Amino acid sequence: MAKRVSGEEFQTEVLSAALPVLVEFYSDSCIPCKQLSPILGGIEDDYEDKIKVVKVNVNFDADLAAEYKVMASPTILFFKEGKEVERIRGLVKRPELENVVKNFI
Amino acid sequence: MDKKYKDLVIIGSGPAGLAAAVYGKRAMLDEVVLEREMIGGGQIVTTERVDNYLGLYGIGGYELAEKFKEHADALQVPFLETGAETITDCGAYKEIKLENGDTIEAKAVLLATGATHKKLGAKGEEAFAGAGVSYCATCDGAFFAGKTVAVAGGGDVALEDALYLSGVCEKIYLVHRRDEFRAAKTLQEKVKNTTNIEFLPFYEIREIGGTETVEYIVLQNNQSREERKLEVSGVFIAIGMEPQSEILKGIAEMDERGYVKATEDCRTSAKGIYVAGDVRTKSLRQIITAVSDGANAVASIEQDR
Repeated sequence: MAKRVSGEEFQTEVLSAALPVLVEFYSDSCIPCKQLSPILGGIEDDYEDKIKVVKVNVNFDADLAAEYKVMASPTILFFKEGKEVERIRGLVKRPELENVVKNFI
Repeated sequence: MDKKYKDLVIIGSGPAGLAAAVYGKRAMLDEVVLEREMIGGGQIVTTERVDNYLGLYGIGGYELAEKFKEHADALQVPFLETGAETITDCGAYKEIKLENGDTIEAKAVLLATGATHKKLGAKGEEAFAGAGVSYCATCDGAFFAGKTVAVAGGGDVALEDALYLSGVCEKIYLVHRRDEFRAAKTLQEKVKNTTNIEFLPFYEIREIGGTETVEYIVLQNNQSREERKLEVSGVFIAIGMEPQSEILKGIAEMDERGYVKATEDCRTSAKGIYVAGDVRTKSLRQIITAVSDGANAVASIEQDR
């Protein structure tokens, strides 16, 4: 299960992480986010040592969403060495997500 | 390339498609359900709460979709996670080309692809999609906490969206091209009693503008032609649906809006091709009528065999 990171933890958990990081911005009432959950879980399990998967709840960390100009749930951001390298907006299928993941590991 | 033969191919796994799958199993048809999205269920999946499905008062849309899927799974209905690209009417059988490259030949095809969100067609709508323009209030409402937004539409979804957003946002403009709503009376009553929703009848959104994200909308009154500009941070569009009937163009008769012509028996003008749910011409598009269509379609398919 991907860890939920707060605004305060974002620097250490995401920007300074050794591995590439996949960050899902989600909201509590968002059903496509619920649909995405098992797909992210699968990526997390299958690429355990290669990519870190975390989540940001926009209901709690709206500032973080605003900082990264995220205005739709779900939105997935990929970070490598502290920089955003890619983003996917909306629900995505496993093969498409996997293709992007493979680019960054 | 793999070729398969089936009695029945059901395209779509919303309430109509899954009800048909259940009835098809009971009729011992060799069938398969095609679903393009990895988690099917159709429009109900993104409905927050369903209050009018008999026996399951107040159930979440996602939960109801899961129940429908569980029912089909319990009867071992086979699913393919792919869409249909083309249907060729070869008389006694239909050839269905799938998005995954395979082909299926079937005696009967049931199109239960439903409908999707209609676009406003306003200037800036596409440019600001995901940057203030949203088609899902429950997904994106949180980004507009404490802000002013507009909701466009007058049906159940528009009013439900406005009510949901009234708990999150500072103010909601409910923009509707008429002065009366199609939405259920109970929803209208709730909207009337919600102080931070302002109803703007006879207005249509002409433009959505801003720099990086939405900052304003331009409205036009369709009676007086008067224009006004409102400062908003977001626009939620819920102006209705359009049928996903493209695949039957040139094969089955449709009305001017693209709904496939069929009555309660779900037979189209093309023999062996059936339609169920929101994609067909009908007066009431609800989960309960979609489910009913699924059952009726299979009854017709059996009669026509």
